[in-house]
Amino acid sequence: MIEIKNLKTSVEEKKILNGLNLKINKGEVHAIMGPNGSGKSTLSYALSGKEGYDVTGEILFKNRNLLELNTEERAQSGIFLAFQYPIEIPGVFTNNFLRTSLNSIRKSKNQKELNAIDFLKLVKEKSKSLKISQEMLSRPLNVGFSGGEKKRNEILQMALIEPEFVIMDETDSGLDIDALKIVSNGVNALRNSERSFLIITHYQRLLNYIKPDFVHVLSNGKIVESGDWKLALDLENNGYGKYLN
Amino acid sequence: MSQISSEIEKCFTTFVNDKKLKDTNERRVEFEKFKKIGIPNNKSENWKYSSLVNDINKFSDLKISKKKQKIDLKKNLLNFNHDKIFIVDGVLYDAEINQESIMLSEFKNLKKIQNNNSLTYLNNAFACDGFELEVTESTKAKKPIIIYNYFTENLSSFSFINIKNNIIINENSELILYFNNIFLSDKKYFFNNVTNIELKKKAVLKKYLSHDHNKNSSLYNFYNINVGDFAKFEYFNYIQNTFSCRDEIYANLNGDNSFASLINLENLNQNYNHESKWIINHNKPNTKSSQFLKSALHDKSSCVFQGKIFVDSVAQKTDGYQLSRALLLSDLCKFTAKPELEIYADDVKCSHGSSSGSIDEESLFYLRSRGINEKDAKKMMIEGFLAESINKISDKTFQEIFLNKLALSNEY
Repeated sequence: MIEIKNLKTSVEEKKILNGLNLKINKGEVHAIMGPNGSGKSTLSYALSGKEGYDVTGEILFKNRNLLELNTEERAQSGIFLAFQYPIEIPGVFTNNFLRTSLNSIRKSKNQKELNAIDFLKLVKEKSKSLKISQEMLSRPLNVGFSGGEKKRNEILQMALIEPEFVIMDETDSGLDIDALKIVSNGVNALRNSERSFLIITHYQRLLNYIKPDFVHVLSNGKIVESGDWKLALDLENNGYGKYLN
Repeated sequence: MSQISSEIEKCFTTFVNDKKLKDTNERRVEFEKFKKIGIPNNKSENWKYSSLVNDINKFSDLKISKKKQKIDLKKNLLNFNHDKIFIVDGVLYDAEINQESIMLSEFKNLKKIQNNNSLTYLNNAFACDGFELEVTESTKAKKPIIIYNYFTENLSSFSFINIKNNIIINENSELILYFNNIFLSDKKYFFNNVTNIELKKKAVLKKYLSHDHNKNSSLYNFYNINVGDFAKFEYFNYIQNTFSCRDEIYANLNGDNSFASLINLENLNQNYNHESKWIINHNKPNTKSSQFLKSALHDKSSCVFQGKIFVDSVAQKTDGYQLSRALLLSDLCKFTAKPELEIYADDVKCSHGSSSGSIDEESLFYLRSRGINEKDAKKMMIEGFLAESINKISDKTFQEIFLNKLALSNEY
């Protein structure tokens, strides 16, 4: 599905990722854990194509090097980043944003764009299990949303767009236990043999709800250890100390 | 004397000789007042940031616009139930008003505004056209009135158009008035429009305007609004690609618990400019006001905002609010804001803010990461930024009209 080879990133001469290698197969869920400043969020930005980073190496996705595509082209090809802090955009209404996003992606795949009625039907169906009200969708994008509402809105976007590769950047931050359950259920409902996930997190807690196939430790911009979900338990008990020089 | 002032003097001499008006002497007095001050210039604080001044000074060979020209013109009508007033090249041309409580008449010798402003003196001297609109007591107008204000090809270049309007909303009455300026000619002309508005006790007037696609003309709109006890005045102006325009609004909150809300949406490109000078005078206790301006500036366009909240010493419990924000979409556009508070009472709440900046890169990344291409994402953000002005409008029908208008503007 996706293969990251010798990925290096820097911002204004400051090196963040130092030759990261990772291969994720179809249907697999990988978790990346690491201390603050290890490069976790940078990895998510390098994958989704945020500007301002100097990136070298290769990210092969569906036989193409993602580094040659801009942000929207990556999204259109099936990459989705669930933001740690979803952005508030006053004046842009959630419903309108969701429809524009979905139709941009459908258009890029030569699929028919959805009209307002079909879209509303679809969004109603998808938002039900995420406990997202129609009132919330009529508000400006993420403006005045609680932490939980913002994250549920991210999952709703994922459910609508149906990407093939999902990066979740510290999705558990700012969530209470109930919201964490709703969000995790939303993610689990989207797990299937065709869709892969990369879950970035500080804590093992989220991984109790979304069970990964593999866990990697990121430190100083490199993967320093890989294992199964038990590695997360080990980290929870012993901390990141042994990976820090 | 500047070239433009001598042009105007020539015009005035022709004007008084041709028209043989009853109030010629009064007009001469007004013209002398104008002469004493002269065409505004950037040396006075009031006009320091005004581009209109430069534009007016470029006028030569000025002509007074001719009276009624026969044309068949009922274009651009909006498709919903409303009453209509048609103004063509500054002259009240026709009207379709089907509400008995609303009275419309042609220009009478209307109140001459005295405010030490040379352009209003000029209007006092020249204006022969315009309308008076009055809503009788205790009437909530059943439908809005739309004023279709056409500028046609019949206007000659360098025309000088002066009109004066008077609007009276009597006690307990309500009206929505939409002044839709439609520019069918690209010629260069100078439009000097003075409007006097009286809102009696508990009256409500929602006055909406749009200026759209005007390539060469210079517009000056002056409003004097007196707001009575518990009366409400709401003003919204949609400005899109208008060459040069200055709106000057004096809203006088003369009644207890009176309210005024002034809202602008500006979407400018090329080297177009718009200037707003808003003064809200809180003259009585418990009065409330709001000034809200959003400006999206492309290319070499510029916006000037001078907003003032004046609070008289008797106007305790005043609540004043002012916010101006500009989105700078090129390196060459310019936003000038001069917020002013002048407060003589001690128990008041007044807040003001102003900001300008470029498109937020984080927001742009968020939209693009959802598959929306950069151009569409920017368009969404500009529209979203401007739509906040529209969302301040209290009338839902017009909110929808302006939101649609904004969605159809593809000039980004």
